[in-house]
Amino acid sequence: MFYVSVFFQYMAQYMKTKLQYRADLFVEWLSDFMAQAVNLVFLLVVFGHTTLLHGWSRDEILFIYGFFLVPYAVFGAFFNLWDFNERYIVQGEMDRVLTRPLNSLFQIVLERMELESLLGAIPGLIVMAYAGARLSLTFHWYDAFIFLLFVIGGALIYAGIFISLATISFFADARTSIMPMMYNISSYGRYPIDIYHRVIRYILTWVLPFAFVGVYPASYFLHKQEWYGYAFLTPVVGLVFFAIAVMLWNAGVRRYRGTGS
Amino acid sequence: MNAIEVEHLRKEFKVHISRSGLVGAFRDLWTRRYTLVRAVDDISFAVKQGEIVGYIGENGAGKSTTIKMLTGILTPTSGRIVVNGMNPHKEREKFVRTIGVVFGQRSQLWWDIAVQESFRLLKKVYRVSDEQYRRHMGEVIEMLEIGPLLDKPVRKLSLGQRMRCELAAALIHNPPLLFLDEPTIGLDVLVKLNIRQFLKQLNERYGTTILLTTHDMSDIEALCERVIMLDEGKIIYDGSLERLKERWGQGKRVAFTFAEAVTAAFLQQLTEGLGVAWKKGEQSNVWVAHVPPGGVPEVVSRVAARCALQDIRIHEVPTEEIVRNIYEEGAVRG
Repeated sequence: MFYVSVFFQYMAQYMKTKLQYRADLFVEWLSDFMAQAVNLVFLLVVFGHTTLLHGWSRDEILFIYGFFLVPYAVFGAFFNLWDFNERYIVQGEMDRVLTRPLNSLFQIVLERMELESLLGAIPGLIVMAYAGARLSLTFHWYDAFIFLLFVIGGALIYAGIFISLATISFFADARTSIMPMMYNISSYGRYPIDIYHRVIRYILTWVLPFAFVGVYPASYFLHKQEWYGYAFLTPVVGLVFFAIAVMLWNAGVRRYRGTGS
Repeated sequence: MNAIEVEHLRKEFKVHISRSGLVGAFRDLWTRRYTLVRAVDDISFAVKQGEIVGYIGENGAGKSTTIKMLTGILTPTSGRIVVNGMNPHKEREKFVRTIGVVFGQRSQLWWDIAVQESFRLLKKVYRVSDEQYRRHMGEVIEMLEIGPLLDKPVRKLSLGQRMRCELAAALIHNPPLLFLDEPTIGLDVLVKLNIRQFLKQLNERYGTTILLTTHDMSDIEALCERVIMLDEGKIIYDGSLERLKERWGQGKRVAFTFAEAVTAAFLQQLTEGLGVAWKKGEQSNVWVAHVPPGGVPEVVSRVAARCALQDIRIHEVPTEEIVRNIYEEGAVRG
């Protein structure tokens, strides 16, 4: 409960800061909006040329892409860990974090929050609505909750993988280029999984389970029953990967406190 | 009760030694060689509640490492630490609620929000009640004279203003123990005085125990009755500043400005039997005599009788120099 109230206080503070710079905020929104609009047009153009891919229609692929954008936006808003090494290890901000009575990972999530990333979910929802309408998909009332569950699951998978990567900073002093590479790999999850080779499919399912952020959960809403099993694994995989990441993180913090590097 | 108890504390770091050259770099890829560095080597001390202790040492002497262990950031290699009745590296979250920490070179405050918003977030994090906050922080803000700064964002503050806000931020939860790592670094004299005065008041009013590291001996002189001096990870002196000065600062410095050039051998011969050490001064024809207690009149009369003098200045040995001397000799006499 305490953590929830701290979370909301930080969030309120964040919004207040953003609102202080009215001009900035306006420009930022405008540019975010433009970026998303360009993204959207680009998507429509690219997928306009694909009609059928391994039994997936253009609109289905679009729907998957749209779905993917939602957990990705949630992840982007709360887990800005890409400069963790620079900011917290090299510059030593980790010391300050460790002198405060809150979980260290939680503090970093709060400090690095970037709520405007959530806006990225809007084009995702628009794409889903557009593709969904063309496919004349039907939804039940409980699908909204399942959608929420899958989004959280997907965001947790992303968070788990990127937290684990950030943990490397605790063990190695050198900067690694794994983060950008992982961003690249993560984009494979946005496309129908069965277009890939068996090995890649295995990796995207069990090793770096990005397929659970896009294609698997989306196929539930597309009524692809052969993937339902995978779809409902999404929150489970999310929790497992997040739990592993938290364990790694704690091990990393222990090590940091041992070496102070 | 003791605020801090440290027994046989030790911290070792493994440091990777890189071989030189490209070939060396390749060999480093396969086999790495490490040396064990003892940053803190078997130190023991206790700090009573309400004491202000200066923790001094050269760069790399192990000051920061000790502070980091005392604040629970680092875990010791061996030894026992009890701070506020707790083990800092276990139950970290419960422990840090009982201490305040200021790192002079690092900010506690959020860069682009108003100071009081930072305070409010910290108040939440430390679970301080509104009533407690108003009562205690009201006083702190008044003592530090930061009232007018509260609604300015941190990035618009000068270093001195920021430092005072940092201090206030570390005291939001009214901790009984305060760690200050170089709190006056880079500050001008007025701000330094303000901060020292504040720390004294804090200590008197709330009985706050303070452990501070600093390079500025005037901080220590103004605040601390007790100093702990560290060299290469070992404590080389632990006791009152007075005693340190008596042992090391006895005697006076007499600077003579001669009308013409003299030699060290000549001066040495002149003051034979008085235990005087001569050193060449910074200007030409200036020689400084380090004279034992009570010897000044004799030295002056002997020198004045034989040489033409332009000027004589007599001064006490400053603490800075006492400390420097101790480091040069590496240990404390007696």
